[in-house]
Amino acid sequence: MKLHGRRPEETTLTVWQVVELARHPDRPYSLDYIKRMAPDFVEMHGDRISGDDPALIGGVGLWHGRATMFLGHQKGRSLKERVARNWGMMHPEGYRKAIRLAQHAAKFNFPIVSLIDTPGAYPGAGAEERGIASAIAKAIMEWFRIPVPIVAAVIGEGGSGGALGMGVADRVIMLENSIYSVASPEAAASIVWRDNTRKVEAAEQLQLTSRDLLAMGVVEEVVTEPEGSARVDYEATAAALDEALYRHLRPLLAQPTEELLQHRYERFRYIDSLIRAEPHFGPKI
Amino acid sequence: MVAAKKPGDVRISGGKLPPIALPTNCPGCGVGLDHEELRRHTYVCTLCGHHFRMGADAWIALIADRGTWKERYGDVRSHDLLNWKVPKPYQETLEQLRDEGLNEAVRTGTCSLGGREIWLATFDFRFVGGTLSIVAGERLARGMEQAAASGLPYLLVAASGGARMQEGVLALMQMAKVNAAVGRLDVAGVPFFSVLTDPTFGGTAASLALLGDINIAEPGAAIGFTGPRVIKQATYADLPPGFQSADFQLGRGQVDMVVARPELRRLLAHLLEIYP
Ligand SMILES: [Zn+2]
Repeated sequence: MKLHGRRPEETTLTVWQVVELARHPDRPYSLDYIKRMAPDFVEMHGDRISGDDPALIGGVGLWHGRATMFLGHQKGRSLKERVARNWGMMHPEGYRKAIRLAQHAAKFNFPIVSLIDTPGAYPGAGAEERGIASAIAKAIMEWFRIPVPIVAAVIGEGGSGGALGMGVADRVIMLENSIYSVASPEAAASIVWRDNTRKVEAAEQLQLTSRDLLAMGVVEEVVTEPEGSARVDYEATAAALDEALYRHLRPLLAQPTEELLQHRYERFRYIDSLIRAEPHFGPKI
Repeated sequence: MVAAKKPGDVRISGGKLPPIALPTNCPGCGVGLDHEELRRHTYVCTLCGHHFRMGADAWIALIADRGTWKERYGDVRSHDLLNWKVPKPYQETLEQLRDEGLNEAVRTGTCSLGGREIWLATFDFRFVGGTLSIVAGERLARGMEQAAASGLPYLLVAASGGARMQEGVLALMQMAKVNAAVGRLDVAGVPFFSVLTDPTFGGTAASLALLGDINIAEPGAAIGFTGPRVIKQATYADLPPGFQSADFQLGRGQVDMVVARPELRRLLAHLLEIYP
């Protein structure tokens, strides 16, 4: 666990202000990073079963001289694009597409970069009819068998099972003003209070900021954002994210496959051991 | 290991089922309920077939051959790790449920079924809505690792609202932890049978519950990822009757069969004969 530059815990923002920054419509999205990391990026489409999910982009590009598979949730910028991309909320086809592209990467021994930015999987009737629960379940299980290095970064919202379906990796890092949570604050408030207007209190208790997740040992690193957050400087944020992701990827490239998969298993198998050892960890209220 | 008996010899229930909280009238047909008769009929209405929700103790009594249940990891207990205070302190919730005699949302152990030794894990919806917690995930993963190592078949009974809010992102991470362990069962060639009961939703449906080699749903069970209330709120959709029911999921290819509870034990014993 390493922190670079300004330490993220020095932030003076409230938890809710962080949530708003993570969701800010001017915040860089996956393609803003991928086009800077791999300017020759070639996008691919489709799950080869029934469709393509525009909420998830995927494709290949050269990154630090190495062919790499990029995957990322993509929220839309204009209203039209937001509708087309379903606000970055994936349908079952998206998870099947992700695994198809991960297996493609495995065939050619390309490492995988996964960028997470979703409010959650799509909570709609169509997603249910086409098996969203088993699509996520299958994806999570399959990620543990993909025999190439995977590095993931939460760049905005890491919402629930929809995010975790793209978040099984050998290293997971977070941008400073991103969030990662068991449920959106609204959904948590609706479940616990039966009242989704209690979202601010829910957010404060959920421990969903990057520094909470680093302290719990759920992510390996928090990447500091420029003063004023990622949205004021795409170039600097992309450079910092690129540097951190590649620094985490490099040692994985040399690891024998069996060891890589065993470590991936153990990373999630014992992910809660740090907090179990320290009752009454962290707290906000 | 005792040789399995012929399917016809397997009793409907392993042991006598414990009493459970029941309404006066059946929510399915409205008829007044004879609680003793229901108990003999595995808590399924003899008139309309309504399946009443059972807790982990009743499921263990139903599945396990009499006197064979050995609980494991029952001493791994949840406590409030995130200092969750409102609207109700999580620690208080946990202690209250324990005072009521409940031990977490998942109980696990070994037993025999029709003479065949198995690992059994059963959710308990009465414990914070059967939510997947760190301890629930830990009990599930340990049992699956043991089953993978020993070759014993793994049987799951699911009843869960999803991941537990009060344990934050660490509850979410249990989905990855248990799915990784399901992968171990695959590698070991160990059969994994999943019984989906009412309700199975959210992070539990989107992790191990739908990953069975055979998924068996109870009639009338609601199974899905997002609950109908949230779907309506988020999309203003009108959901047709039977949406997310066991039959709906059968029609959508998510479960292999819908099996009434009085037939379940016999079916499982039969499957255990087919799968080595
Ligand atoms: Zn009835």
